[in-house]
Amino acid sequence: MSTTFGLFNTSVMGMSAQSDALAAVAENIANSSTVGYKEATTHFLTVLNGFQNSGEFGGGVTTRNRYEIPTQGALQSTSSATDLAIHGAGFFVVSDDSGATYLTRAGSFAPDAEGRLVNSAGYYLMGYAADGAPSASSTNSLTSMSVVRIRNDKLFATPTTAGALTANLPAGATVVAPAALPSTNGAGAQFSAKTSITVYDNLGAPVILDVFFAKTGANTWEASAFNKADAAPGGGFPYANPALVTQTVAFDPANGNLLSGSPISLSVPGGGTMSLDIADATQLGAAFSVQSVNVNGNGASSVREVMFASDGTLSYLLENGQSIPAYKIGLANVNSPVNLTSESGNVFVANGDSGQVFVGLPGTAGFGRILSSKLESSTVDLATQLSSMIVAQRAFTANSQSFQVASEILQVLNNLK
Amino acid sequence: MTLSLAGLIANESLGAVSAQTGIVSRNISGASVQGYSAKIPQLVTSDHGTPSIVGVARQADSALLKSLLAANAEQAGSTAVSDGLRRIEQFLNVALDGPSAVDSSASPAAAISNLSSALQAYSASPNDPIAADNALARAKDLAKSLNGASGMIQDVRQQADQSIQQSVAHVNDVLAKFERVNKDIVVGMAAKADVTDMLDERDRLLSELSTEIGIATVQRPSGDMVIYTDGGVTLFEMTPRAVSFQPTPSFAAATPGAGVQIDGVRVVGAPNSQLAARSGRLVGLAQLRDELAPRFQTQVDEVARGLVQAFSESDQTGSGAPTLPGLFTYDGATVSPGPGAITGLAARIIVNPTVDPAQGGDSSRLRDGGASSPGAPEYVYNATGASGFSDRLLQLVDALAAPQAFDAAAGLRLQDSVASFAADSMGWLAAQRQQVETKQTFQSAVVNQTSQALSNASGVNLDDQMSKMLALENSYQASAKLLAAVNAMYSTLFEAIRV
Repeated sequence: MSTTFGLFNTSVMGMSAQSDALAAVAENIANSSTVGYKEATTHFLTVLNGFQNSGEFGGGVTTRNRYEIPTQGALQSTSSATDLAIHGAGFFVVSDDSGATYLTRAGSFAPDAEGRLVNSAGYYLMGYAADGAPSASSTNSLTSMSVVRIRNDKLFATPTTAGALTANLPAGATVVAPAALPSTNGAGAQFSAKTSITVYDNLGAPVILDVFFAKTGANTWEASAFNKADAAPGGGFPYANPALVTQTVAFDPANGNLLSGSPISLSVPGGGTMSLDIADATQLGAAFSVQSVNVNGNGASSVREVMFASDGTLSYLLENGQSIPAYKIGLANVNSPVNLTSESGNVFVANGDSGQVFVGLPGTAGFGRILSSKLESSTVDLATQLSSMIVAQRAFTANSQSFQVASEILQVLNNLK
Repeated sequence: MTLSLAGLIANESLGAVSAQTGIVSRNISGASVQGYSAKIPQLVTSDHGTPSIVGVARQADSALLKSLLAANAEQAGSTAVSDGLRRIEQFLNVALDGPSAVDSSASPAAAISNLSSALQAYSASPNDPIAADNALARAKDLAKSLNGASGMIQDVRQQADQSIQQSVAHVNDVLAKFERVNKDIVVGMAAKADVTDMLDERDRLLSELSTEIGIATVQRPSGDMVIYTDGGVTLFEMTPRAVSFQPTPSFAAATPGAGVQIDGVRVVGAPNSQLAARSGRLVGLAQLRDELAPRFQTQVDEVARGLVQAFSESDQTGSGAPTLPGLFTYDGATVSPGPGAITGLAARIIVNPTVDPAQGGDSSRLRDGGASSPGAPEYVYNATGASGFSDRLLQLVDALAAPQAFDAAAGLRLQDSVASFAADSMGWLAAQRQQVETKQTFQSAVVNQTSQALSNASGVNLDDQMSKMLALENSYQASAKLLAAVNAMYSTLFEAIRV
């Protein structure tokens, strides 16, 4: 008898399990366009009757649902630079209004009124301020992360600290008498070559340095720098202030390469100490020419847009075309991502099964890269879901048939009386 | 690979094809625009096989552009020089061939030969007042010709000076535009935007700049460009450097022209600094103003001095009176000038008023002497007052053809007759002009060739674009077909559910 009643149980459990599967399919289909959604899958497990003897059947079925969190979704292109996607393992660290942190792969971020990057579910992106970037060994520092805030309301300036100048000084230049050297800052100072370089002071104001080269003897030169703002009317000597730096530069007569005199260290007026590297300068039998000149630092300017590098660096692109790093977007992961607890808004929370959250920088071992202007689409494939739906529907029907058969058997038994 | 992904790929592919079609249409519409370079879409396949356009590149040839910039500068320089020289030469020659009697001896060389003939005619009939008037008129023509030539030379210098000012204004203007475009490129490149059109514009501005002054460029990693003159002076680095010039309001022979200062360094104009620019219109104009025109001025000055010398009157009585200017004189002339250039003499030379009846003089002094100091017996050659006296006139004709010393600064023969010196001077001018015109013709050919080569290398080839368009059309059709296939498969699934 137990077998007949068991039939009811088994078929009801079967129907219930297939309903679960159908519910998962329905959720998947509903979220087939949700950014960062991970496909829900239904796993069936047998449940055996505790009184069953071996050789007897009549066990039921139960289901376990889970989200296939580690599956990589297809990356679709968007036109917004703040749309981010992770290619590889890891999650963005986001926080809600209360400050609680979550993990997510839904990277459709956009700046809010305060410049905070918030995704469509309302979670704020977190990262390390550029000066507080974690070292490679720092593996668990969620606390040092803060909400990423794009400072549209502020001007940025970085003083110049380093530069490089590569030039050829004409080997055949006439030697300048000591009394007429630029370093004397006399009205009739003579020089063999001059170039000027824009650098930035502490307040981001451009300072133009006039750099003079005067030949003092065979293979020796005097390099000196002046602040262009001090120049006499019409430019040139004498400058209102003495040379910022005067340095003897020597060249190798064998090949014209620099022997000594690099780098030139000078104090930018109103700014910091700048080291001008002239190690690649030459003294060859050609006219004076500058091959390359580069300096760091940038003038005071507001933020025009933000850019992301694949290593997670968020840079401000300033109005003047220079870019300065502002944040490092860290990624987080757990040992068993598939066991993360899902919450509304495509966010996940670590639990005992998933393991502790650890963080790291994109592109480092164990973490994927961050791509800008991309979104990770839902991992749901409609066709698969539709076929699963048909299968589940048929299985449900079959279970209901089992139930009907059991019911008919009981009917027959009842009619025996 | 899933059906959804197939749909996504087809979708992205359609997007990529339409973006490429946009670039092809841009290329086709830009095919006839000067300086437009063909744009090339840069496609990558991302992780799931979806194609996407990551940027737009352009077909550019920096080596050819560099050659074009150099050729532009050389050509503009020689054009400026040849234009100025041609103006002086035309003034002298056109007037020479022109109908007007007054101008008929505008070239000093021709005027000297006219005067020589008139003197010879006068010497044949020394008592003929008409011959005397004719000789006097030719002498006035000669003085006028020298004055005119000197005026023209200074006018050419003045014009060159004004052109330098215009060039400097143009350079400043182009640099201001360059600053904007350069900044847009830096910002655009940092934001990975399409900056190819701005790069074309920047190249166009460089080419415009190179006609004014020879330039060299250095590109920085950020896409920023630094411009130096070909002499190494900074012209643009983040911001334009000041290019300044103080025009000279009016020119006389001794007036030096001001130099052009860039970044506080004199790059154009004498004295040459070690960082002087080497090519470009500015350099050509300065060469004309400070070198060629003054040289020709020295030559006409020497012609004028030679004439004063040739016609000077010496003491005939042996009383030791100094030699004085005779027929030709100039303000402030007390003693006859010896060898050595007198700057601006050509502008000041006049026919002595003592010989000109219109100014109360007497034209017979040409025959008899005494033009230098009327009434003084020392300078009277025709002591007897004979009306048939022709010795002095023949002496004058000989003096025109007699060798005398000339200043080396004129750059011509040091010992020469004044007539031959004047002819040599015209020859020098013509030779200079021809030489620079030959150079200019050659450089024009180089500019044409180089811009043709550049256009071939970087311009739009319409055939290429058309074939690309066909390929894109096919690709679009294929992607659309793929979408239709995905759709059909979904339909099949839905059919299955409905049953």
